[in-house]
Formats: sequence, structure tokens, C-alpha cells
Amino acid sequence: MPAQRAGRGERRFALALFLPAFLLLVATTTLPLIYLVWSSTQKLDLSMPWLSGFAGLDNYAQLGGDARFWQSLRLTFVYTSVTVVLQVAIGLGLALLVMQVRAGQALLRVAAILPIVLAPVVAGLFWRSLVLAPDFGILDFLTRAAGLGSYNWLGDPQLALISVIAIHTWQWTPFAFLVLLASLAALPPDLYEAARLDRAGPWRRFWHITLPLLRPAIVIVVILRMVTALAAFAAIFAATGGGPGSATEILNLYAYRLSFTELNIGYGSAVATVLLLITLAVAFLLFGLRRSR
Amino acid sequence: MDHKDSRRRVRRRMLAGAAALAGAPWIARFAHAQANLGAYQQARVNWRQAEGETITVAVIPAGYFNALEAITPEFEALAGVKVRYDKVPPGQIRQKAILDLTARSGTYATHAADPMYYDLYVSNKWVEPIENYLGDAKLTDAAWYRPNDIIPAWRGANSVGGKLYGVPFDGESTLQVYRKDLYDAKGLKPAESFADVMKNAAAVHDPANRVWGAGVRGFKGAGQNMYIYPSIFRAFGGQWTSGGALRVNGPEAVAALEWYVELQSKYAPPAVRNWNWPDLADAFSQGTLGLYIDANTSASVLVNPERSRVLGKIGYARWPKGPSGKRVSSIWNWGFPINAALSEKAKRATWLYIAWATSAETQARTSWKAAGPVKRLGLNRLSLWQSKEFAALAAGLGANFLPASIESMQNDLDVDWRPRMPQWPAVGETMATAIQAALVGQQKPKEALDEAQARIAQLLKG
Amino acid sequence: MKPSLLRSTLLLAVAVAMMLVWVFPVAWGLLTSLKTERDVLAYPPTVVFEPTAANYADIFSGSASIVPNLVSSFIVSGLTTVLTMLFAIPAAYALARLELPWKRGAGFWVLATQMLPPVGLVIPYFLLLRKIGWTDTYQGLVLVYLTFALPFAIWLLVSYFEEIPREMEEAALLDRAGRLGALWHVILPQAKGGIAVTVVFVFLNSWNEFLFAVVLGGNTVRTVTVAMFNFISLEQTQWARLAAAAMAGMAPVIVLGLIAQKHIVKGLTVGAVKGGGRR
Repeated sequence: MPAQRAGRGERRFALALFLPAFLLLVATTTLPLIYLVWSSTQKLDLSMPWLSGFAGLDNYAQLGGDARFWQSLRLTFVYTSVTVVLQVAIGLGLALLVMQVRAGQALLRVAAILPIVLAPVVAGLFWRSLVLAPDFGILDFLTRAAGLGSYNWLGDPQLALISVIAIHTWQWTPFAFLVLLASLAALPPDLYEAARLDRAGPWRRFWHITLPLLRPAIVIVVILRMVTALAAFAAIFAATGGGPGSATEILNLYAYRLSFTELNIGYGSAVATVLLLITLAVAFLLFGLRRSR
Repeated sequence: MDHKDSRRRVRRRMLAGAAALAGAPWIARFAHAQANLGAYQQARVNWRQAEGETITVAVIPAGYFNALEAITPEFEALAGVKVRYDKVPPGQIRQKAILDLTARSGTYATHAADPMYYDLYVSNKWVEPIENYLGDAKLTDAAWYRPNDIIPAWRGANSVGGKLYGVPFDGESTLQVYRKDLYDAKGLKPAESFADVMKNAAAVHDPANRVWGAGVRGFKGAGQNMYIYPSIFRAFGGQWTSGGALRVNGPEAVAALEWYVELQSKYAPPAVRNWNWPDLADAFSQGTLGLYIDANTSASVLVNPERSRVLGKIGYARWPKGPSGKRVSSIWNWGFPINAALSEKAKRATWLYIAWATSAETQARTSWKAAGPVKRLGLNRLSLWQSKEFAALAAGLGANFLPASIESMQNDLDVDWRPRMPQWPAVGETMATAIQAALVGQQKPKEALDEAQARIAQLLKG
Repeated sequence: MKPSLLRSTLLLAVAVAMMLVWVFPVAWGLLTSLKTERDVLAYPPTVVFEPTAANYADIFSGSASIVPNLVSSFIVSGLTTVLTMLFAIPAAYALARLELPWKRGAGFWVLATQMLPPVGLVIPYFLLLRKIGWTDTYQGLVLVYLTFALPFAIWLLVSYFEEIPREMEEAALLDRAGRLGALWHVILPQAKGGIAVTVVFVFLNSWNEFLFAVVLGGNTVRTVTVAMFNFISLEQTQWARLAAAAMAGMAPVIVLGLIAQKHIVKGLTVGAVKGGGRR
């Protein structure tokens, strides 16, 4: 009986802690979400106001035949998966490294925060004009000096995608690094003692002990990084504007272009809604992986 | 009694002195502003008829708007209207203005408007016809304001159906900007035809020594690469409409795009694909470009001793003649429209502000009369361009700057240089993508334009 | 001995290489901020030049001063961070450790709100804030930032709370301190490293945010990211001053990061892999 009462008391306590944040989120996200979905069912084009009206699923149907949408989707998939995998792999690797090699640790932690702190708008501009520009940027200078030739990093359609992935990874890997470092630091050390006594090598220790314990944190990092990659805007916009052509126009940029440049808000909302659904689906799948127990 | 009296007198004098001291700076500013207002008060208009209003103006961060902002206290003293500026980054100002206009919230009484957007504004009934204010004798003294002095092509560009909707404040036209020293050394004259452009570029092209022959905007955007291409298109004799519908893939369009791609691929540095106007000006000012064709107002950047290495080596010339025999420059101006969602009094206050900003006196005060090193060049009135004060200002900018600019503005401006329609934002962006796709070799020019045509046709169907 | 030394050196080399890659562009930005415009555009890029503090003078005084914008950013990011942590810490704890009804659904719903694409939210937020007259106000922008920061913070914190050994909590509860006391005196200090990391990133995300700051801000609320464009005009990019502004914009967050580092360090020395004992 005391257990029951304790249960109810705990539930009330839990609700009291949880509800403020929950209610705030409900209040601020419900209406915008409704607007977003509603506007995706409307013909809402500011440049042709005489056409406005209910459109049902026409906008979505139009997506099906829109080659640029499908290309954008493909680009988004490549961009997001590559950068997230790189970020987590490099971040985790570095975090493990830092735990083992004590020298220069503090320096590395300070260096780690620098790329993320640089405003994405400025990062995009710097990379475009001062670093990556052929004949004028410093990277070109270095590759030529090293005998590696000159490349149009942002001007060549294939290279441009690689370049923006590199810029995004460069900027955000430190997040994975710092978050996973803090997670590693908080792991209970006695498990390692037991494994060491068991004469398990460092790789086995990592695979069988550390990784499973880190799994929830890694999944969260992956989900959060995925959301950031999908919402990436300022840096790519400043670096390439979605170009050359539409070689780096990820879905987010395409939705922005449709809603805010072409002023076809109904269609742009449809693209944004599709982006939302895709993100939700992937997050849902990943979320299931969290349960390590 | 005597004692108390004198003490009162002293106290009064001290208070007066303190008040004077506290108020001195304000009084001085007020007096200064008042003294300066003589030129405006000549106008037979009651400047104070909208007294007490506060208006917010959205502009971009730029030298010409900074100059206007610096002397705005004069307007506030003149009209009793408070003016606040919101400086929005150039990539977002259209969007922010449109958001405000479509929500009809009346936040921005006026804003720096892109002339290609007036069709959009008018079809949504977001802005007021300026004639309501220009033609009202209580609001405008036509003899003093001289609206017809404002560059006609710019007024035409800001008009829809023959009615003006935004008053031009600052503008430009595009010219050839070339390295006079390099051309002189090889005995070259600035290009008179498109073929000449290629020849000149080839002659000075020396990438091994970091000098590229020529370059124009490559960055993708309705206001970027699609700011230069239309001049080439029109010079080739292209027409935007055919049989009443928009046509972008005709033979002239393909020829124009092919010429553009050839020039950029052969004679421009590879980085040009991502270059906008400031990047071209930077490259030229570092001596790495033999020629670029862009806004004449970049002159002030090129003669800035802080960055430029080509002082005294700059020459200007009008656009070359295209195969059709036409020279077609660009039309650009930042104009001020009046937000239709304002109250009547606020609209009058806004008109008074616009009239003040676009008047000859203010134009002069932000140009050669301005304090500080930056003097505006993109003045909105032909009479000012032809004045001797401006000639003095333009003297150090480079060879032939003034004649080329004036002739260009008088002869080479073509109001239909870009297709003017409410759907311009989408059309412009689609064309921009096609142009860049052709430039980077993703598609052949004909393919790129065909795809653009298909996309535009779909777009216009709605 | 030898292979382990080789391994350590290799690892160290990798770490140093990583550090260089990360630091290089920022270091280049710092150098740029000390150059004159002429030197910035010089080619080959100059590493040796006569440094000048003029750019910093220009951005801290005069008409293009970004000082009011730094203040604006401070207010926005500071308020967002404080409010976020106030709401998120309890919520995360409830999700991580307590018997919350419909825990999985509620948890996923919170995460799902992160998925809302900012591009699709700009217009509705603008219209909503306009309706209640909160455009160009601090409360308006902070409210919108909270929407993005809360789910982010909650889920980061959940990972850290879940790592705290249950025995510690049970011990604290038995201590008759009550649940709130347990949370305050035992759980939070244990999760200090995680909380520090969360604070840094919540602050950082709102500090560097651009799209909403432009659209929902204005004359009164003009953050540093918007102010960068004082130096990126249509006529020219003032690279040196832009670099100086970027450095100035980074400084407060770096300071915050350094302070937060101390708490992460504490965690490291306690939970060392190489057989460090329990405290």
C-alpha cells in the first residue's frame, strides 16, 4: 500500500515537473503547425493573388512531378546522412581519444568550441570568398603550393556538395565531441575495472561496455544533428545560395526559395510539410533504437 | 526686501543659466537644423501638416542610406515627424517588406523597394499611387520639387500601367569598367561591339600573371547574374514576350547565353561563378581583372585608397552595341513607395519624408555636401548629374566616368529590359538558375533555357 | 611498451591535426581582423603584415558600432537560456527518472516539436507575434527561441540524467530529503557536466540564430548576427571589419564555454577510464 501511494505521489511530482515545459511547447507550436499544414492545402501565391483559394492536395500532387523537388530530396538525403555520420564518428572518436591521451586535452576542448561559435552567416561568407575561392582563397593557395592543383570547390557542381558538407561538418562536429565527452565522463568507472580484470582488450571494452552505455546519448546526438542538418540554412545560403545551378539546394533551401523568393507560399508550405514528415519518420525510427535496456 | 529680491533675481538667473547649459546642445542642433532648412522652406508646402507622426523606414545597410540617415534630424526638425530606420540585410529586405505588406500591419511606412517588385505590390494593392500625392498642391510644390527632373527611365521602371508607385531615391546604370593602363599599353579602345569585348579580353588575358581578361556577375540570383544577362539578351535583339506569352528560350536568348558562357569560361577566373558585384569590384581593385561590366556607382569603391591598387588606371565606357545595334544598360533604383495600410495622416507624413529625401537639395546634401569621406554617386536627378559640383566630385573617379554615365542614362535605358510582371520574383530566380547551370556546364545553354521555359510556363499557369 | 607509445603518439598526431583543421579558419578570421583591407585582398595571402587595431575601433565606436547589437544578443540569449533551463531541467528529470504517465508518447512528442522546419514557421510566427504586438520585442523573440531550445535542452539533459546511477537517487530519497531535495542536492550536482554543456549550446544556438532574428526583430531588437551586415553591403564587403565583428561576436560565447568547461573537467577527473576510483 505504501508503494501504491508512493507511485501516485511520484506520478504527481513527475507531472508537476513536466507540465510547465509541455504546456509552453503546446502553446507555441500548435498554432504554427496548424497554419503550416493549412497553408499547404491552399493556393497561396503572392505574385498571383487572383488565384488564391482552397487547393486540397494539389500542392502535394504537384510535388510528385517536380523534378527539382526530387533532386532536392536526394541531395538532402546525401547531405544529411553523410554529415551526421561524419560528425558522430569523428566526434565520438575524438572524445574517446581525449579520455585516453591527457596531453593537450584542455587545448583541444577550447579549440573544439571555436567553429560552432562562429556565426553560420559569417562562416559561409568566409569559406566562399576567403578560403575556397580558386585563385583568390587560401585553400587554393595551399593546394597549389603542395602541388595538388587548383579546384573550384564551390563552383563545380559535384565538388560544391562535398564542400558544403565539409563546411557543415567542420562547424558542427564539436557539438558531438563535447556532448559525448561529457557523457563518457559520467560513465560509472567500476564497469571498466571489472572488464580490465577480465583481461578484455580496449576494443572489446569499447564495443561491449562503452558503446551500449553510450547508445542513448549517441541516438539523441544523431537525432539532434539530423534536425540541424535538415534545417541548415544560413551557411549554405551565404556560401552558394543553393548553387551552382541547384547542386546544393537541399529541401530546406528549396522550401525557402519557394515561399520567400518565388512567393508561392502554398507550395513552399507543402515542401516544408513533407520535410517535417520525413524528419518525424526518421526520428521515430531512430528513437526506437534508444532503448538499450 | 531688497535682499530677498536680489536673491530671487540671482536664483532666477542661475536657473536660466543652468537651463541654457543643459539645453545648449539641443538648442545648437535645433538652431543649426533651422538654419539649414531655408532651402526646404522655400517650397510652398506646409511641411508640418503631419506633425507628431512617427514613421519607420526599412532600408539596407549601404553608404547612400547611411548618408540619408545622418541628415534625417533635419527632416525631423522640418516636419515634426519622427523617423526610425530599420536596417535589414539586402538578402532579406524584400521578404521582410512583403511580410509586412501582406499582413497589412503598417509597420514600415516606406521601404527601399526593388523596382521589379512594383507589379507584385500593385496587384496585391499594397501601395498607394504616388500621383495622389504628387498632384496634390497642398502636399507638393511642383515648381520646387520638379518631379520631371527625376530620371525618366527610373520613374518608368517604378510605374505600373503608367502610374508611378515609388519615387526613385538612388540608382545606377551598368557600364564597362576597364583598366585604362592595360588597354592603352596594347592600343585598345573600349569595346564598341560584343565581338570587341572578346578581342579586348583576349588581348589583356594573362592568368599566369594573375590578370584575367574580363568577368561579369556569376552568382545565381534574380538580382545577381540575372541583372547582367538581360542587357546581353536585349542587345542581341531578344524580346521577352512572343505572341503575348513570356518566351525565354528563343534564338536570341540562346545566342546571348552562349556569349555570356563563352566570355566567362574563356576570360574570367573560375571563381566568377560565385561572384557578385562586390567580388568583381574587389578583384578589379586588386588589379586582377581587365574589364568588368557592372554598376557605375562602384566607382567610389574602386578609388578607395584603403583597398584599391588601381588608382588612376580606371576607365569607363557604355555597354557595347549588340548584334541588333542596341546598347542596353540596366535599370536599377531604390525607390520609396507608400504603404497602403497606413492611416491618412501617416501616409501624408510618409509622402513628406519621401519628397524630402528625393528632393534636389537632399540629394546634394548626401552627395557632395555630405560630411565624411563617402559621397553618394547614384543621384536621382539628371540636373544634378550635369551640375558642376557633381562634375568636380566625379573628376577623380576615372576616365570618362561622367560622360559614359550620363549618356548611358539618357540613351541606353530600356524600361522593358527585364520582364515586368507580378510573377517576376519566381521568373527571375528560374532564369538565374538556368544561366548558372549553363555557366558551370551542367547543361547546354539551349537545354537550360528550354527547361527554364517549361518551368516558367508551369509557374504562370498557377 | 613500444606499441602503446606508438599508439599514443599516433593518437596525439590525429588530435593535433583535428585541432588545426578546426582552428585554422577561425585563426584566419582573427588574422584578417587585424589586417587593413588591402592586406586582406592581397595574394598570395599574407601571414606577415603590419597589424592594426583600427577595425576593432571601428566596430566598437562610430556609426557602425555593434555594441548595442551585442547588448541585444546578450539579452535575447541570456533570457532564452535562463528560461529554457528553468523549464527543461525539471521536465528532463521527469522524463528520465520518474513515473511520468504516457512517458514514451510525451517524450517523443517533445522531440517531435524539434522537427518543425524553421522555414515553415517564419510566416506563422510573424503573423502570430504581429497579432499580439510582440514583433520587434525581446519577449517575442525569446518566446520563439524557447520553442526551439526547450526540446533540444530537454533531450540533451535526459541523456545525462539517465546516466546517473539509480542507487544514488535511492540513497538520496532514503535520506528523507524529499524528492525535490533529492533533485536539488544530489542529482543536479551529479549532472553538472551535462548541464554545463546544455547551457552552452542553448546559449550558442540562440546567439547565432539568423532567420528569425531578421524577420521578427527590427529597430529595437537587432542581434549581432543581423549587425554583421553593417559590413556586408551591396557595394562592398568590408572583410577586415566583418572579421573583427565576427571575432567580437564569438568572444562572449567562448568565455561562456570556457567557464562551462570547468564543470566538464570535474566530471572527467572523476570518471577516468584508466581505473580512477569512485569519489
